[in-house]
Amino acid sequence: MTTTSLPRTGLTTDGLDLTTADPERRAALVAGFPFPFPNPTYRYSTNVEPAGSAVVTPAGQWGDCVVDVDVEYTAELAERAEILERDPSRHAVLPHMRVACWDAMLCLMRELAAANPATMELTLLETGSRPRYRWRNDVLGIDTAFTYGLESTLPAEPLAWIGQQVQEDVVLLDQREGELFGDAGVVTFAADWSFGFDVGMSFLEIHGPVPRLHAEGVITRAQAFLTRLQPGEVYRRTNWTLTIGRRLDVSTELYDQWGPDRESIQLLDDTAFGALVHLRTEVQHLIRLPESGAVMFLIRSYMLPLEEVARVEHWRTRAADVLEELPQDMADYKGIAKYRDRAVAWLRAAG
Amino acid sequence: MSTPAPPHYTSVPPWTREPVVESPDATGTAFTVLAVGTGSDATGAAAIVDAWLPTLPVGAPVQVHTSEDVAGAIAAMRTDLAGARVGHRVLVAGSATDCLAVRAAALGSSLMDSELTVGVTSVATRAVWCVHCSATTIAEAGLEDVVTCPSCRKDLVVYPHVSRRTGAHLGFQVDAETLPAGVTA
Amino acid sequence: MSAERIALVVTGLTALTPSIREVVLAPIDGGSLPSYAPGSHLVLDVPVGDGRERALANAYSLTGETVEPTEYRISVLRCDPADGAAGGSAWVHTLAVGDKVEALPPRNLFAPVRHATKHLLVGAGIGITPLLSHLRSHVRWDADVELLHVCREGEGAHVDEVVALTGGAATVVHDRATFAALLAERVRDQPLGTHLYTCGPTGFMDLVHLEAAAAGWPAERVHAEAFGAADLDPGAPFTVGVAGEEIEVPSGVSLLEALEEAGHEVPNLCRQGVCGECRVPVASGSTPVLHRDLYLTDEDKAANDCLMACVSRALPTDDRPAHLEVTL
Repeated sequence: MTTTSLPRTGLTTDGLDLTTADPERRAALVAGFPFPFPNPTYRYSTNVEPAGSAVVTPAGQWGDCVVDVDVEYTAELAERAEILERDPSRHAVLPHMRVACWDAMLCLMRELAAANPATMELTLLETGSRPRYRWRNDVLGIDTAFTYGLESTLPAEPLAWIGQQVQEDVVLLDQREGELFGDAGVVTFAADWSFGFDVGMSFLEIHGPVPRLHAEGVITRAQAFLTRLQPGEVYRRTNWTLTIGRRLDVSTELYDQWGPDRESIQLLDDTAFGALVHLRTEVQHLIRLPESGAVMFLIRSYMLPLEEVARVEHWRTRAADVLEELPQDMADYKGIAKYRDRAVAWLRAAG
Repeated sequence: MSTPAPPHYTSVPPWTREPVVESPDATGTAFTVLAVGTGSDATGAAAIVDAWLPTLPVGAPVQVHTSEDVAGAIAAMRTDLAGARVGHRVLVAGSATDCLAVRAAALGSSLMDSELTVGVTSVATRAVWCVHCSATTIAEAGLEDVVTCPSCRKDLVVYPHVSRRTGAHLGFQVDAETLPAGVTA
Repeated sequence: MSAERIALVVTGLTALTPSIREVVLAPIDGGSLPSYAPGSHLVLDVPVGDGRERALANAYSLTGETVEPTEYRISVLRCDPADGAAGGSAWVHTLAVGDKVEALPPRNLFAPVRHATKHLLVGAGIGITPLLSHLRSHVRWDADVELLHVCREGEGAHVDEVVALTGGAATVVHDRATFAALLAERVRDQPLGTHLYTCGPTGFMDLVHLEAAAAGWPAERVHAEAFGAADLDPGAPFTVGVAGEEIEVPSGVSLLEALEEAGHEVPNLCRQGVCGECRVPVASGSTPVLHRDLYLTDEDKAANDCLMACVSRALPTDDRPAHLEVTL
């Protein structure tokens, strides 16, 4: 076991790599990992599919729930709270998004309850123009009644409050003038983008920096799809990148802090490389909210170090194939160009 | 005109790359016309406004405001818009930076893109928002140039990513991916 | 098209006017009903019979509570089949309490723009129905709202309810001339940031569009309810040849569904013409393709050598019935 650490950021394999962590937790993360490469090559596509069905992997399965509470639940919520405390711009609600925030809160409560019936429950107490509910989340010790549309009956703004109870990042898209606008959200685990900057921008504008997406029409098609999404329809897609260290918050805000790792990682020995370089999958869910007509975009980030990826033979070879073939501009955009060759070699040698 | 915008410049209005003067929307029924700037921007803005005015519908109320600084132009616009009816249009002539700032304020006052017309006098400067310390600076810079954040002193890339809410470009540290001092390969 | 239907039972019937009937529908199994966006409609399955040669799918605006509804309410104007109506509304007027009906879940093409600073609702006759759910929502969220409505004297379904919901910001008139003058005046005096929503006969909505445009309203501020416009029509039947076998694709069934029913596997994801997965090559011997997807480029479509099986269909020519030859 090496204890090599990354200079400056001080990222160390101690306590960060899963081999030193609780074996049960490690096993759970592997079993639930949404391996993002169904094909031997990767290109951007409007890869949406109806949500809610489990995807079986060689190590387990994922995807049977829209909102996933896993072994990291309390740890990730604590991390989110710390990030919001330090940088409140990770939560923003433009004024016209008030209805959408209530909508999102109720929708997420229903999804949480559906996935965790033993510990979470949303009860409709009264119907009418102002329905009343009781929300119970035993994991966090919450049991409270509230009235729809009355902020005074909640402990916090609805989106902020539910953001304290899901591991997913949430972006709410307002639909108007035939477009979608990212006008509210709680995003603490952004992979190389700045929610605080992007809030208020249109869907097409937000995705501007991604190469190939526009030339290939992927984003205009995605927007056409989303603007036609009907209430009750839930779709999902995945995205992926590599992240150094088990670092959920790789937002542009902190680029000065995690950027140097992309150089430093090249200096580490193979053991440290395999422990620190993580395959990061985003499982994104797209849900049309009923009352506001907004589209809720959920982004859940899962990370697994290469050393764990390599223990599953199909994942090891498939990840190596995809990384090796990935065109240079896409590798540049994902920020993995400097170490993807090493990652390929590492995965090949781990067989 | 110069080269077409790269396809990924989805948030960069073409008029921030070239000094484009748009034609006013003659379907409007009332107009706020802003001329912003000093020096050559002021002269240019005045000429644009002079060219616009005869194209506006006869009899429609028109308020023209001339301001040296964009804050004054925005304040004048907000006063007009406070009592405005649907049918109102805003026309702004000035530097791309000032036009972006007016656009941001106009959208925040419930105007839609289609109710705003811009006439750009110059594209030499850009507002850059430092993602690391949240300071905004206005600098003479082109897209993908590097400017120094006056607040945290980091060198920032002027990224081709523009906020409609603030009118600023995203700026992030250009040289973050370097080994710390004293560490060598 | 492949959305799951809701089984409903009629629990209440009220004659609002001699020709407008309110129907209250509850879930057959007593469970809950999905919340829906203001302005949503329910697509009811109208069975064959009574002079109806084929089943119909009729859209009716939902008028009740949008959040946690315990029932769905629609109000239906009877259009006489003797005057050329297809017979769906006449069928609704034959329903009795206890009758079972099926419907697609609520769909929406007429939602309020929450960014608006004020909502101006403009209805005529039965066109009041989608505006009712807008009003309920605006009352809940304390949004600024004004309503203009025209209907024949004594035939104003929901008028009292609407006037009460607006808290007085409603003007109801009973003749076209008065309405035209009122409309011309009110569209010229709305605070910047207002959005306008209209529902009524086509000629009426055309008038609203014209008046708004004359008053300088950009098109993006004016919204009209066009029932089901974004739902693709069921399309005409055609045939498809695949590996020497000929398959019928009836109206209302997609090529993708027909191929799947015949035992062919076609990769697919969205089933809405967006994702590009179910692209099927078209071979010679085909009539032109009716492209209805959002995926293929104009050049792709012009080439007539492939189609998205989930939404696109075949067109007949002057001398040949609609037919596609595909390779899987």
